[in-house]
Amino acid sequence: MSSELILSTLLSPIVLFFILGLGAALMRSQMSVPESFAKGLAIYLMMAIGLKGGVEMSKTALSPDIFAIAGVALVLSFGMPFLAYMMLRVTSKMSRVDAAATAGHYGSISIVTFVAATQALQLAGIVTSGYMVAMAALMEVPAIMSALVLARRGMKKEGEVAGSEKGELFREVFLNASVVVLVGALAIGWMTGEAGMEKIAPFFVTPFQGVLCLFLLDMGLNAGRGLRQGWRQLDAGALSFGIIMPLIGAALTAPLCWLIGMSIGDAALLITLAASASYIAVPAAMRLALPKAQPSIYLTLSLGVTFPFNLTLGIPLYIILAQWVGG
Amino acid sequence: MFAKKRLELSIEKPAFKRACRILEDAGVKGYTAFSAFAGYGGGMRWQKGTDLSASQDMIMIISVMDQDVIEKVIDALENLIGSHIGLLNISDVTVLRDEKF
Repeated sequence: MSSELILSTLLSPIVLFFILGLGAALMRSQMSVPESFAKGLAIYLMMAIGLKGGVEMSKTALSPDIFAIAGVALVLSFGMPFLAYMMLRVTSKMSRVDAAATAGHYGSISIVTFVAATQALQLAGIVTSGYMVAMAALMEVPAIMSALVLARRGMKKEGEVAGSEKGELFREVFLNASVVVLVGALAIGWMTGEAGMEKIAPFFVTPFQGVLCLFLLDMGLNAGRGLRQGWRQLDAGALSFGIIMPLIGAALTAPLCWLIGMSIGDAALLITLAASASYIAVPAAMRLALPKAQPSIYLTLSLGVTFPFNLTLGIPLYIILAQWVGG
Repeated sequence: MFAKKRLELSIEKPAFKRACRILEDAGVKGYTAFSAFAGYGGGMRWQKGTDLSASQDMIMIISVMDQDVIEKVIDALENLIGSHIGLLNISDVTVLRDEKF
């Protein structure tokens, strides 16, 4: 079962298209996905996943279990950056501000990794709950606060945000494109329910897999280019952090899933969220709040190392882990 | 013909609005901004990304102004590029319509 799961994930069209893009970029191919088109694909995917989650949520009543999962999700997002920061300071030569900015990425989430995990679970016939999309949205932001707290400790000046710039940072953190589209689509899906979804299903449900393949081709190109251009900025400690940190995140989350009695599918998604690293919302917030942190370090790690690892080997491992702890 | 100063600022997208505010608050009569496609700096190549936040993009701002206005903006812009990724160039130019700048 385990080897079958790993093989079926690795040989799924979405992963193969990602590998195609990654390989093309590493071999310096000139292939590229037009910028506006790629951004349109990202908005489409977030709308589709938000709508689907909202519709599923409309079918179930809010229960204490959901609040327990939300509590765990918040604790993970707030807490993981502190662990990541300590690891980075011990294992790599990163400066305090670079380590704080990088740590923030590892407390937040990657929505594309989440989507890929839902597809892998669907392929394995494992059911997931719609409200897990809300957990993904919930985990985007708290890690940014933790990164700012970490950067402020001991080096006040670099962690400070000027009063006039706080509003700008607030907008970037809470109203960035991914949060607005994801939460907005989730609310619309929740309000309109199955009847509303039926009307837009030909656009948001049927072509979803194909669009995801296109998007992952672009993600592969971006990850490959980022890795090619930025790997020299990372020492061995930082590079290994990009793979070890997701595994630690997964290992910490699994017992919590067992503790609150999550289903296999939902546990696999929460583990995946905890193991993923942001490359959209957090980099933008870090450029505003911690401009001295080097984007070539945190982006190469989250997009060039952790994302490919999670997409290929991480997701099947997290599903296996969820099968051990899930009810 | 009138002598003016031309300011050329290349700044990372997250700091773009701050740069615009500095220019507007100093009373600059106009500026034009456009997105840079690719470049090289800090020992590595970069190119316009496709991610939604556009946090890796670079924006070029061009503005022509009087000497007294440029003196008002230069310190604030220098501070901005001191913490953010960016470059600032100032050159002498000649314009035809004085009232536009």
